[in-house]
Amino acid sequence: MSDYAPVALVAVLAVGLGLLALALRAGPVRRIEAPSAWAQFRFGYPIYALIFLAFDMEMIFMYPWAVVFAAIGLTAFIDMLVFIAILSAGIAYAWGMGGLEWE
Amino acid sequence: MGVAEEIGFVLLALLGGALLTAGLERLLGTAERGPARPLAVARATALPNADRWLLPAGPISGLAGVLFGTVVIPFGPTLIGRDLGIGVFYFIVVIDFVVLGVALNGWGASTSDAVESCYRIVAQLVSYIVPLGLAYVGAIMMARSLVTTTIVDAQSGLWFIVLQPLGFALYLVTGLMQSYRAPFLEAFSDRIGGGVLGVVGGGPALVWRVTLSGLLFLVAAMGAILFLGGWSGPFLPPPVWMALKTYGLMALMLSLGHLVRPLSTAEMLALSWKILTPAGLVNVLIVGILILLHIGPA
Repeated sequence: MSDYAPVALVAVLAVGLGLLALALRAGPVRRIEAPSAWAQFRFGYPIYALIFLAFDMEMIFMYPWAVVFAAIGLTAFIDMLVFIAILSAGIAYAWGMGGLEWE
Repeated sequence: MGVAEEIGFVLLALLGGALLTAGLERLLGTAERGPARPLAVARATALPNADRWLLPAGPISGLAGVLFGTVVIPFGPTLIGRDLGIGVFYFIVVIDFVVLGVALNGWGASTSDAVESCYRIVAQLVSYIVPLGLAYVGAIMMARSLVTTTIVDAQSGLWFIVLQPLGFALYLVTGLMQSYRAPFLEAFSDRIGGGVLGVVGGGPALVWRVTLSGLLFLVAAMGAILFLGGWSGPFLPPPVWMALKTYGLMALMLSLGHLVRPLSTAEMLALSWKILTPAGLVNVLIVGILILLHIGPA
């Protein structure tokens, strides 16, 4: 756990520096008068988000696989080939159904 | 080297990188657009509709992302914050705190331009993270490790840029997306008045300036580690080699990006999913075949 002690230290540092910067009150204040942005937005990428979720998980699976790949060899390669083939079919399906078109 | 000297060197390297970025952006004429745009550091801003907690959380999260990322970047065999066992995986995760920061700041500011910036930055994350991760996977497969120093050691014979040119090209494009430099400027574009950067001022503006220039430096440093052999090189001491490679990669990315016209969010998403992601999968297969043929580090 002590491996992550510097990370915790950096977190404290970031929050401290950030709060310090926020507390910095220098010069005149520029007031930005803009109407509130509470409005209905047309969300352009729900399908992208879903495809993203699937591929992001796939990428995370690939990390441990990549570390042991050279040690296992051909079996690992064929395993990943099947995995990639299924996912490629997924992206081909999404593409074919117009999922990759911006609305 | 003592701890104070190490911190001093890393700060100097960051400063040098920020100066180089500023100089290059000015030279290429891109300084007025995107993350390098002029910020009102001397004038604080007041936003009447802002969220009390989300707005200040933005810059803190962004700064934390860059500082977290710095922990695993090695400037020499022992010159590293902490050599974590999950090094590059940790890096790719924590660096996205910057995206979270821009999204929080944009949503919290609650002006239409800033909220638009929030949407666009999330769309940019959705575009770059998968091909970027696949570019990482190639280097991890050959080095057989997630540890950044081990990845550098694995390239003592031959840099991975020679073995994986496709992976390096992928890294260049997705690295530009990740650091929001031309041609991927949509989140901070002029048409939405700079988005989040248009509504920040004072201390937070200073934090975003540091965060966004530090982000480019980190992306280039990770590129140097994954594909250019990190700190290794003849004659000069390791930290100098690492700094040279990082600055070289920054200069290469900024100049290449400048040659392409700015892409809209829709075009960027299409580029990512129709070209870069399939190319990333092909890269993984190519690297796999190379390893099966016993090409690469023994």
